[in-house]
Amino acid sequence: MKNSKFWFFTFVGPVLVTFIIVVIIPTLMGIYFSFTNWDGINHNPDWIGLSNYFAIFERGGDFLDSFVFTAKFAATTVVTINLIGFGLALLVTGKIKYSNAVRSVFFMPNLIGGLILGFVWQFIFTNVFSHVGGVLGLDFLQGWLATTATGFWGLVIVMTWQLSGYMMIIYIAALQNIPKSLIEAAEIDGATSWQKLTGITIPLVAPALTIGLFLTLSNSFKLFDQNLSLTGGGPFNSTEMLALNIFRTAFVFSQFGRAQAKAVVFLIVVAIITLTQIYFSKRKEVEM
Amino acid sequence: MFKTSKWRFLSIVLVVILSVALFAGCAKEEEPVATETEKEKDAEPTPDPGPVEIEIFQFKVEMAQDLDAAAREFEKAFPNVTVVIQTVGGGDDYGAALRAKFASGEEPTIFNIGGPQDVEDWKHKVADLSGEPWVELAHPGILSGVTVGNEIFGLPFNIEGYGFVYNKSIFADAGIDASKIVDFESLEAAVIELDAKIQAGDLKDKYPNLEAVFDLPAKENWVTGLHTSNAVLAQEFASSIEAFEAAEVQFTYGDALKALIDLQANFSPHADNKYRLNAVDYATQVDMGLAIERVAIIQQGNWVFGGVKGIDENVANNLGFLPFPVKGAIEDSIPVGVPMHWAVNKDSGDAEIEAAKEFLNWLYTSDVGKNFIVNEFFFIPPLKGFDDFPPADPLAKSIIEFAEAGRTMPWVFMGYPSGWGMDILGNQIQKYLAGKITWDEVISVSIDEWAILRK
Repeated sequence: MKNSKFWFFTFVGPVLVTFIIVVIIPTLMGIYFSFTNWDGINHNPDWIGLSNYFAIFERGGDFLDSFVFTAKFAATTVVTINLIGFGLALLVTGKIKYSNAVRSVFFMPNLIGGLILGFVWQFIFTNVFSHVGGVLGLDFLQGWLATTATGFWGLVIVMTWQLSGYMMIIYIAALQNIPKSLIEAAEIDGATSWQKLTGITIPLVAPALTIGLFLTLSNSFKLFDQNLSLTGGGPFNSTEMLALNIFRTAFVFSQFGRAQAKAVVFLIVVAIITLTQIYFSKRKEVEM
Repeated sequence: MFKTSKWRFLSIVLVVILSVALFAGCAKEEEPVATETEKEKDAEPTPDPGPVEIEIFQFKVEMAQDLDAAAREFEKAFPNVTVVIQTVGGGDDYGAALRAKFASGEEPTIFNIGGPQDVEDWKHKVADLSGEPWVELAHPGILSGVTVGNEIFGLPFNIEGYGFVYNKSIFADAGIDASKIVDFESLEAAVIELDAKIQAGDLKDKYPNLEAVFDLPAKENWVTGLHTSNAVLAQEFASSIEAFEAAEVQFTYGDALKALIDLQANFSPHADNKYRLNAVDYATQVDMGLAIERVAIIQQGNWVFGGVKGIDENVANNLGFLPFPVKGAIEDSIPVGVPMHWAVNKDSGDAEIEAAKEFLNWLYTSDVGKNFIVNEFFFIPPLKGFDDFPPADPLAKSIIEFAEAGRTMPWVFMGYPSGWGMDILGNQIQKYLAGKITWDEVISVSIDEWAILRK
């Protein structure tokens, strides 16, 4: 046991060093740069204190607009993804044919890269929708992605389509862990399907729900690639989400310092929201 | 037991093969570097000032091989000069790579600079080329992006132009004489006439897809925010350098910009629902628009030729440019500009500088060089004197006609504040098309943002 310190550092050391180099140091540097007017080229930017942070909330309010849009998007997708994911899980764990094949099909969208997915769906929304709408005479299928509302729902549809299958896998794992005996006991007591679902299944799936909510919430907040390829923030930046807004501030406007300040605010906000969510859903979990 | 060891053997073999293949792949790319160092060794030990080596650090990957062939030809004509070419691909990467190259102390003799921001950044490094013979051959305004006072810091790669690209056969069948279009008024009259014929179905038999005169890709902010606005702001700024130095923008011809946008929007397929233009992209406008004869005119540049040709060669060969009229100002011209320049490093030795100047001069004024420019690089030459080397495609020809008639205006959008053209003005135009704001707001917001970004 006297060697435990040695072994501890032998095994943890390399990872710790890597972690410090690629995560801790860049984060600290990022925080430092958020207090400067760095433009991405100059190696010795000036220290300008908190002005970047003030500017984020003052000028034009584009960060706040993006924030509101992202929050709405996250709230919507958390509901749709988890509902559909859970629904799919119930479906494929029930008595249906080819359930493994069906699972793979539902999971597949997850294997496609976000950028490609965005471009494919862009084609579907703008061309296929408008063609189908023209043939069927449905006017609401015209001009998709040309307005803020259709851009929003377009993003929600793509994100839901992509992530539901992933959540389904998590819920399947949870559903299969529910002891058959509990269900049988309930059946003997004469519980209806609805009572079984709300009284047994959902409470016992709660730990998976915590994970599901956390993943969808943080993924929705951090969404970048689908946003970039599907709408690119258009029309007039009204569908620009936080990550894209930060990226544009840095690489389009060359305001790296201000973008860093936005990123720091972003980090804090996402951390607060997801930690709060975990705290509350943890309390709802039941131990077996 | 035997079975597992067989598998292990097989997997080891696979790993070895794959890694060898990987290294072979890497080595292949490194090859030219190796030959370059050999040449450097050859050049170094000779104390005699005769042999000179110049190094070109350039970014156009697609012409790297052809440029190399041109360099070998040059070496035949000037046996004492060795030309070494290094290519690093793609816009942003090149800028970073060039900085790294200079920082490492291995400064190239010839390198590339783009717009005014580059000129500003590299001013202390680039040699004045105003004494070169090709300067007199330049088309008017072509050198404006690299001219500061009396000094000229770059030789343009090529020229590109944009404006209203139109389908000549549709015009002919509609009985409209495109040569009569010389200003905004005559353009508008022709558009109204064509539109009436399209709506009446007169052209339906020959052009079943034809549904409107224009298509406006408002989703592509660079089309509206950079290109359309450029024509209007070129009346205000004489060059991109001037725009780059301007603390404010006046928008003297703001109404002319409105006229250009409105004309394209009002005669587009979405004239009744203009907000839908905000989802029209480049592919819809060009590949699914002009190329399939769904629309007759689009605002684009000579770069659309290849794409259209890939879809319908007949359409591609019947394209030409109409003037891009700025109402109340220059109405008969098209914006023509230079995307990239050659610059010479003034800290190289005198012999190297001379050889570099000689090379550029040779490339753009000798017959062998000219042949490379037009037929190997597929450039529209930025200089006069290429009469014996006609360009292949009709859009390039059309641009040369405009340039030779002096009917051009400069590209000033390279001097806009970073992000202003696309993310400010382009977005305001989208809002205008969506009916969210008035035109006056488009202009006032853009004026304010210019000033803020220039601070």
